[in-house]
Amino acid sequence: MPESFLMRVTDLQKHYGETRAVDGISFSVADAAVFTLLGPNGAGKTTTLEILEGIREPDRGEIEIFGRRMHRVDRATKRRLGVLLQEGNFEPYLKAREVIALFASFFPKARSADEMLERVSLTEKANSYVKNLSGGQKQRLAIAAALVNDPDLVFLDEPTTGLDPQARRNIWSVVTDLRTTGVAIILTTHYMEEAETLSDRVCIMDYGKVIAEGSPRELTEQLGQETIIEFDARDVSDADLEPLAASCKGVRSEGELVAVETTDLVAAMEKLLSWSKERSIPLDCMSVRQPNLEDVFLSLTGRRLRE
Amino acid sequence: MSDILLIARNHLLIALRERITLFWFLIFPVFLLIILFFIFGQIGQEKEISFDITLVNLDSEGAGAFSGIVETVFDGLARAQSSDKEALFRLRKPEPGENVDAFLESELLAVRRGRRTAVILIPEGFDRRIESQLVPTPAPSDSHPESELALMIYFSEGTATSGMAVSIIGQVLAGVDREILSRGGRFDPAAAIPAKTTWVGSESGQTAYIDFLLPGIILMGLFTNGLFGVPGAILFSRDQRVLRRYWVTPLTVPRFLAGMSIGHIALSALQFGILFSIGRFALGATVSFASPVAVLLLLLATATFMAFGFLIASVSKTANSGMAIANILNMPMMFLSGLFFPIAGLPAFVKAIVFVNPVSYLADGLRSHLGVDSGIFPTALVLAVPLAWIALSSGVAAWRLRWDVGR
Amino acid sequence: MTAFRALLRTEAAILLRDKATVFFTFLFPFIFIVIFGFLMGNVDRPTARLGLIETTGSAPPVPRDLLESSGVDEVRDYEATETLWTAVRNRTVDFGLIWNGETLEFLYHPSRVQENYAFQQIASGISDAVNLRVQGLEPVLPVVRRHVGTEASTRWFNQMVPGIIAFSILASGLFAVSGHLTAMKERRTLDRLLVTPMPPVALLAAMAVVRLVVVYLSTLITLFASIAIFDLAFSIDWLAYTLLVGCATLGMMGLGTVIALIVRRPSSAGNVANVLAMVMMFLSGIYFPIEFMPRFLRTLSLALPLRHLADGMRFATGVNDMSPVRFWLIVLAFLTGALILFPVLARYVVRPQRT
Repeated sequence: MPESFLMRVTDLQKHYGETRAVDGISFSVADAAVFTLLGPNGAGKTTTLEILEGIREPDRGEIEIFGRRMHRVDRATKRRLGVLLQEGNFEPYLKAREVIALFASFFPKARSADEMLERVSLTEKANSYVKNLSGGQKQRLAIAAALVNDPDLVFLDEPTTGLDPQARRNIWSVVTDLRTTGVAIILTTHYMEEAETLSDRVCIMDYGKVIAEGSPRELTEQLGQETIIEFDARDVSDADLEPLAASCKGVRSEGELVAVETTDLVAAMEKLLSWSKERSIPLDCMSVRQPNLEDVFLSLTGRRLRE
Repeated sequence: MSDILLIARNHLLIALRERITLFWFLIFPVFLLIILFFIFGQIGQEKEISFDITLVNLDSEGAGAFSGIVETVFDGLARAQSSDKEALFRLRKPEPGENVDAFLESELLAVRRGRRTAVILIPEGFDRRIESQLVPTPAPSDSHPESELALMIYFSEGTATSGMAVSIIGQVLAGVDREILSRGGRFDPAAAIPAKTTWVGSESGQTAYIDFLLPGIILMGLFTNGLFGVPGAILFSRDQRVLRRYWVTPLTVPRFLAGMSIGHIALSALQFGILFSIGRFALGATVSFASPVAVLLLLLATATFMAFGFLIASVSKTANSGMAIANILNMPMMFLSGLFFPIAGLPAFVKAIVFVNPVSYLADGLRSHLGVDSGIFPTALVLAVPLAWIALSSGVAAWRLRWDVGR
Repeated sequence: MTAFRALLRTEAAILLRDKATVFFTFLFPFIFIVIFGFLMGNVDRPTARLGLIETTGSAPPVPRDLLESSGVDEVRDYEATETLWTAVRNRTVDFGLIWNGETLEFLYHPSRVQENYAFQQIASGISDAVNLRVQGLEPVLPVVRRHVGTEASTRWFNQMVPGIIAFSILASGLFAVSGHLTAMKERRTLDRLLVTPMPPVALLAAMAVVRLVVVYLSTLITLFASIAIFDLAFSIDWLAYTLLVGCATLGMMGLGTVIALIVRRPSSAGNVANVLAMVMMFLSGIYFPIEFMPRFLRTLSLALPLRHLADGMRFATGVNDMSPVRFWLIVLAFLTGALILFPVLARYVVRPQRT
């Protein structure tokens, strides 16, 4: 673990009766990095973040932010934080500029509303009512509000969920810009591409526990030097797959695709081609790729990130 | 400080921008003020109203003296006194040659159906009856029982105008009575007893209705503002997850509340200004709120109702249930307070509500201080009961009010 | 047919589970009746307590029977003017009379603006009667006042209850469409139903049937409550009553349809309906007599459906008289409105949202 950290969490726990929403989470976040909590819905990502943001009480665990230990995030710490909640709204009848000005007034020092709107490309919507903004615009406004105080540590909880691809890319560029200014960012998502594209370190969570941590590359490399061949499973029956599975090691069927994991690409390709000729199976939409975080999760849990 | 002021300003702006809020807190009290002014302000102004009445004289064959007097008097009142004022009565009489019985039937039906206010029927034999009363002769045993020879006034008792018209007709007839008696030499008009009206404790006569009404409407406005506006703002913002975005910043709940309260006071002041201006400049109110005590009472009322709004917000799980509670409480608290209807004859258990209701005390205190009413409640209670409610409401709110959606 | 029955059950369940709606439909009118019943108890004839001072002298005293026949309920005797003033001021008596043999001085409380009119009428009657009696005379003109119409119509509260019932019918029908249905449209619940083979007419019919039953029951509860608690008298023409309630409920749903068609966003429909209902409530003569309003407001009142519904209710419950032609025209108008707007509503239901 890096020596200097902005935030360190030790053995965080949160139970709801029998359910362990957060079950002993520990990690630390360094300067100028994007740290991502990746996991399916219900993994405990948002609960963890809400504890760190100070709107939920942990049952157990230690939080250390900016060098100070605390059980619950205090007001002084909040001055240096920037938070984007997973679920939240602004007053529909306020104008975008008024919203930023309002949030700016909560902090001893803050940027101007116009500057922040410029930064998230909302300048032309400065005088529009919140209720007239699109989903993507509202999210950008929320990010602007989260950054108005030039925070040292930013929490972005599922920042692109429910947005169209264009809006998503908008926000990705905001995040990468932010990172270059030296801010530490904790991100949660269930989108694998988001985690891979933006993160310096990823922490994979499932059922309230950390099941893996490392940079995206470190994590995928744990799977070994594997290649994955995928093709359309439409006309492939279980009977068809049997001989293939017998000859190739890592064959699995996942809904629309059949995937073959192999460390020896050429050999696997040969077997695949002869199999397809024998069975008359057209290898439609065939692709050859490197493993990604989705595969890491699958190998760790046997389930997919997105159900 | 700027965060508190910004929150206050936003609270005010949002209320003005949401058209529905604008309606309920500004337009509706104005509407009510004007309507009530027209309805109740007219009672006692019967000189301004014109009544549709019918007169049927069945005794006209004899062209009797007395029935003739009655008819002449009413004819006179049906003629406009001046060019700009309507006559007191719009009089209908049967056309010469018309079937009188049929006419009477249709007129009585008209009274029953509200198209006519009253029907005056002078029965046959009326003049003979009067004569026999004036001249005490040993009359032959009259086969006509008295009531058949009485002058009948047919009216519709539950209707306000009908009741008024009948009172006026009664007064007119009493005058005719004296006229007949004085012509008969029995009544001496010179010895008539004058009646004098004294308004106890007031030099200027009876309080103008608008002066009685305006403080009531102003209080009602403050009341609905607190009852609906405060829980509405808090609960909808909470349920829509607007508030939680504030709680992840250094903003604290007390500062937020301070801002909201200032915003609410500003909104209330605006409401007061509009209602007062309309009352004063459009409807002629003379009552003045310029004294420190009046201002204090208005502030006390604003604070009481605002705290009450917090109370409602703290016992409501969702915004909808909060609004439902507010709706349930609205009617009883507003009407069982003496604001609009006198509370004199209420049964005990209903009066209990009146005595618990802070609106009763504030209404009574405000009106009596402004000189438009004499108070029932002692000053100590006028201040103590609302203050007690503020304390209770604040206590419960501090204990129970959830500032974020439940988890 | 089964779609209809299933929808019937669903609509009923939705209505009955929403505690707020149940409350407002059944209990609210009831609470209203109770509050106003007690408040209005005194409106028809406020109790008139007279404080009397008769200065001793050669003047004949005011005959008590005369006071009673003029409308005084209670007479209290006082000695000193100050005590009478105090009694008037703190409402121990409602008005006062000082009779010194030469003038009748009537004392009133200057702020009892709504009640003084009645007291002044009584005073005027006393004055007339005393004038004659002092000269040894009796009134010559025999005058008899006779109320035409039912006994029920003599009490303002008796007239008010059908009005309250009329308003609850308005509210239920109006908000069924501009509230319930528009909320379903806004929340896209409607869309989910419509992609099924269910015909929109079935949904509307189910809604209408549920509302008809609920409204009818609630009007009965209100009626019986007012009879039981306040001893009101009604003579109900059940056929007329049932038809009026039924057609008016449907007609008010039609009115809700008009609103839903006009507003831009479905969520605004509820607010517009609320405003309209409020305005109609005050201008229809239900709670306040409209006879005193300026002419244009009285004319406007005739254009309001609630006004005619309230008048019709008074007729059907035997409180006021009305031309039967007018009554059945009203029923017919509501029914016609409903029939015309029903298919329009069906089209609204399937119309795509214009966001």
